[in-house]
Amino acid sequence: MAEMNAAHDAHDEHPTTTIREYLLIGLLLSVITAVELVMSLYEDALGAILIPGLLIFSAIKFVIVVAMFMHLKFDSIRFTQIFAFGFVLATALLIAVVVLFAFDASDAIGGGFIGDPIEHHD
Amino acid sequence: MSAATHETEHHTSLGVDNRKLLMWIFLASECLFFGSLLSTYLIFKGESLSGPGTDIFAFEITSISTFVLLMSSLSMVLAVYGAQHGQLGLMKLMLLCTILLGLVFLGFQVYEFKTFASEGLTLSTNQFGASFYILTGFHGCHVGVGVLYLSSLLVSSVRRNGIGKETPLYIDIGGLYWHFVDIVWIVLFTVVYLIPAY
Repeated sequence: MAEMNAAHDAHDEHPTTTIREYLLIGLLLSVITAVELVMSLYEDALGAILIPGLLIFSAIKFVIVVAMFMHLKFDSIRFTQIFAFGFVLATALLIAVVVLFAFDASDAIGGGFIGDPIEHHD
Repeated sequence: MSAATHETEHHTSLGVDNRKLLMWIFLASECLFFGSLLSTYLIFKGESLSGPGTDIFAFEITSISTFVLLMSSLSMVLAVYGAQHGQLGLMKLMLLCTILLGLVFLGFQVYEFKTFASEGLTLSTNQFGASFYILTGFHGCHVGVGVLYLSSLLVSSVRRNGIGKETPLYIDIGGLYWHFVDIVWIVLFTVVYLIPAY
């Protein structure tokens, strides 16, 4: 019980982040968003690195907000585990559904992609 | 021991507060909700034979509204900071800022929807329109619920014996919901608006 209380007390401690640090994090998020916007305006010049670049910047913003603003960095590991479970499941669902519909095996013998001309088989 | 003090010393077998745990479980389930809607959007994106497509998007307007939502997340975390450090004036001011920024974001969304509708993209135009409006509309609903949630916290904080320095957990949990709405938009803004049609 004493260990449990000690653990609980540890979780009750507030994050040590200061207002100045929060403002700097807000500035960083704004700068990343501005960079994303500029990247999307020059999509032809960036070519193949555009989509991975945008996804990486988006992931950075996501992690910053979850870790610093939602305090997962300072909070109990159980909260991280619960949220990560839901997020990973949702990502897996998204990938599975998109792949399933992008490669539609019923469309043609040997498979075909959505948007391909429909083949008629006698 | 006062009721408020007793509330902050709510020990559980997991060592974490049940109310906060419940919010995290709810947010994890919300990931699946938005994951389903986003996958539906991605399936129908670029597949419609008639009506406008992704070329209808206006980055400028959406970028401003994204900035507004990011700033609302900043004001929300400052409200939580105020609650946790007993600075109730800061907490109330930042809660009010968050609510106002949330309303501004909703205003941008209504303007965007009206503009798209006038250009021929409605919920019933094509599958792209249906999946786009449902995805972004449900996010807007979450922002609306968040505004009501934070408004109730603000009203409670100005009442006598309401939310105060003994009960920062309520503001913390409200903040979790609001930040979640923000991170969902971070993903939607990139995937829906910035990544071009493939």
